[in-house]
Amino acid sequence: MMRKKTCIAMLLAGGQGSRLGILTQRVAKPAVPYGGKYRIIDFPLSNCTNSGIDTVGVLTQYQPLELNAYIGSGAPWDLDLSNGGVFVLPPYQKGKVGEWYRGTANAIYQNMAFIEQYHPDYVLILSGDHIYKMDYNKMLQFHIRHGADATIAVREVPWEECSRFGIMNTDADDNILEFEEKPKHPKSNKASMGVYIFTWEKLRAYLEADEADKSSSNDFGKNIIPKMLGDKQVLCAYSFDGYWKDVGTIESLWEANMDLLSTPMPIDLHDKKWRIYARNPGYAPHYIAKGATVQDSLITEGCEVYGHVEHSVLFSGVVVEEGANVRDAVIMPGSVIRRGAIVHRAIVAEGADIGPGAVVGEEEGNIAVVGWDVKLPAGVTVTAGQQVDESTTF
Amino acid sequence: MLKDVMGVIYTGENDALLRELTMTRAIAALPVAGRYRVIDFLMSALVNGGMRNVGVIMQKNYHSLMDHLGSGKEWDLHGKNDGLYVLPPFLTRENIGVYSGLLDALRSNTNYLTRSKQEYVVLCNSAIICNPKMDAFVSYHLDSGADITLMYTKEATMLRDGSGSYVSVDENGMVQDIEVEPVHPSYDSTFMEILILKRDYLRSLVDKGVAHGHHELTREVLLPLVQGKGARINAWEYTGPAWRMDSVQAYFKFNMDVLNTEVRRRLFPDDLPVYTKVRDEMPARYADNATVINTLVADGCIIEGTVENSILFRGVRIAPDAHVKNCIIMQDGQVHSGAYIENCILDKQAVIKRNARLIGPNAYPIVIAKNVVI
Repeated sequence: MMRKKTCIAMLLAGGQGSRLGILTQRVAKPAVPYGGKYRIIDFPLSNCTNSGIDTVGVLTQYQPLELNAYIGSGAPWDLDLSNGGVFVLPPYQKGKVGEWYRGTANAIYQNMAFIEQYHPDYVLILSGDHIYKMDYNKMLQFHIRHGADATIAVREVPWEECSRFGIMNTDADDNILEFEEKPKHPKSNKASMGVYIFTWEKLRAYLEADEADKSSSNDFGKNIIPKMLGDKQVLCAYSFDGYWKDVGTIESLWEANMDLLSTPMPIDLHDKKWRIYARNPGYAPHYIAKGATVQDSLITEGCEVYGHVEHSVLFSGVVVEEGANVRDAVIMPGSVIRRGAIVHRAIVAEGADIGPGAVVGEEEGNIAVVGWDVKLPAGVTVTAGQQVDESTTF
Repeated sequence: MLKDVMGVIYTGENDALLRELTMTRAIAALPVAGRYRVIDFLMSALVNGGMRNVGVIMQKNYHSLMDHLGSGKEWDLHGKNDGLYVLPPFLTRENIGVYSGLLDALRSNTNYLTRSKQEYVVLCNSAIICNPKMDAFVSYHLDSGADITLMYTKEATMLRDGSGSYVSVDENGMVQDIEVEPVHPSYDSTFMEILILKRDYLRSLVDKGVAHGHHELTREVLLPLVQGKGARINAWEYTGPAWRMDSVQAYFKFNMDVLNTEVRRRLFPDDLPVYTKVRDEMPARYADNATVINTLVADGCIIEGTVENSILFRGVRIAPDAHVKNCIIMQDGQVHSGAYIENCILDKQAVIKRNARLIGPNAYPIVIAKNVVI
């Protein structure tokens, strides 16, 4: 018998993140590196720990190996507990039936037995798609205070971008009146952040009904929320005004990394009261050699810089050789930029090797991407917006 | 097979020459190389060598050491079987808690030695920084059939300043002589104060040694054994870099040595990672007017000024127009705008205020104690 928990979290980490192109060829989107030493999933997991939520189910489906290994026992996030902790929940065979997660709601439905072990009053639903620091406990207090059946975290977005989001139309008391998925003529600019708190008893009933409905696509945004609104349940919008960045595309992932180079940082990662935890690869401090120049950049443990680095983010173990020039770039763990190579407005994925004199990216245009473990031969050019992976021939 | 070996680290070395740096901590807990403590290297070497039972004998100022080691999680020593044993001094009828040497310390921890299950013990002093392949050392000992095997080095990084012990080793690897703390050593092989022997044999040596009023292992037990041929004592050469942290000069030299990339590659080989307590700081930030030359920088630093030939620990702030040269700045240290410091060691949370100038002689760096504001 598990001890009862007031609120547990379920983190939907099964998305492929196909808009990230070759960056998600080998890993699920939540495992994509960000900010020099983090992975996207470190943000929701650290938010949980810092908010006092100590039981988290992580639902995986696409390329789970790297994510499973990364989460491990959950120790980096203090989630290695005997009562609670972090659990990786892949789809599994139940009796004679076994199936993939069909939609976000179906993924939770298939794991109701896991949730029920803790007899929670509330369930927090999260995704592994965004960079943000949020106190879920404040949102839970809001949910309880409003006597809501469901609370959806919303953030105001620029009006011209409303058509990319699920938009909530609310009254003055934060009650949600209407939910519009990607509206052409938005009535409000409050976008759903994909962060939900449900009163568990309510959600369970809706999940069961949704599962019985063969026409449903078993999705929170498309099915569960509209159905609850139609039934006049109490749905509230919880406004969040901190930094919140979708990192679902190459451009936005690059931008989110560049955001950390502006002063002041739009998301404070020095905050000792709200640390973002990550699995530590255990390297020595980084080394800046004589003759190197480093400006306006983030550099982490294990890096060695002999060349020029400007306005860039270097992940652990990156080597920038003499005469190499890295500008406006994101270089992921363990990559090497050889002598005289130029990397400009680009993302270089883990373990890549940019050969001597190679040129990646251009002054203008889209972000160039070099994929996992790609060995770029000396002198080749990767143009703006081009993505090269191991199958590319030079 | 390596599961049959345990490790014991003794942390009670003499620290008088480290001045303010060891006022509040043991040598083992001294911060080094930007993010480590001295003990991390040996702890990691023992664990990388497959040892699952590691005892750390504490003596004085051990609060910061205990805080650093915690449950041993960072070294994967928090299991149910064996793991990390923190052994603080305690008072009993025959033990007053102050050890006059390694022998005393082992005598006081007889219970731990008796209760452990492993057949062999690797015994180390904590003041040596090195990263040996312990499994190779253990295999050598088992294959050679010796009673005791000592680890030694011919590395020049080990200062020969009269505080070490030196061994003469013949072509068969047998130890012919040991010199303890000579001012002018006769041999070029420095004993690294790391040895392996059977646990039962160690217990009997400790028992006999203490019964004869002895305190020190090398001088009073090993030396007579070598001289009287009372045991077969072999030696194994460690070919990586090694340093003894027993003075401010030695501490400064070690930190400056690791600025050399070749030295760093040898001290941190890919297959022998060095583990330490993690602090979850964000990567270091460089401002657009930062100038950094030949420097090791840990996570959490913010650099807006000029830094050369230095070591910056986690969370150090260098303000615009500050200039830092040949310095070691420990965790959360700050150098404010317009300040110039050279040949200084700033202990944790030390602050150098605006426009201060502090220049130490090259051979005798200035030590600024913890929390001091100048």
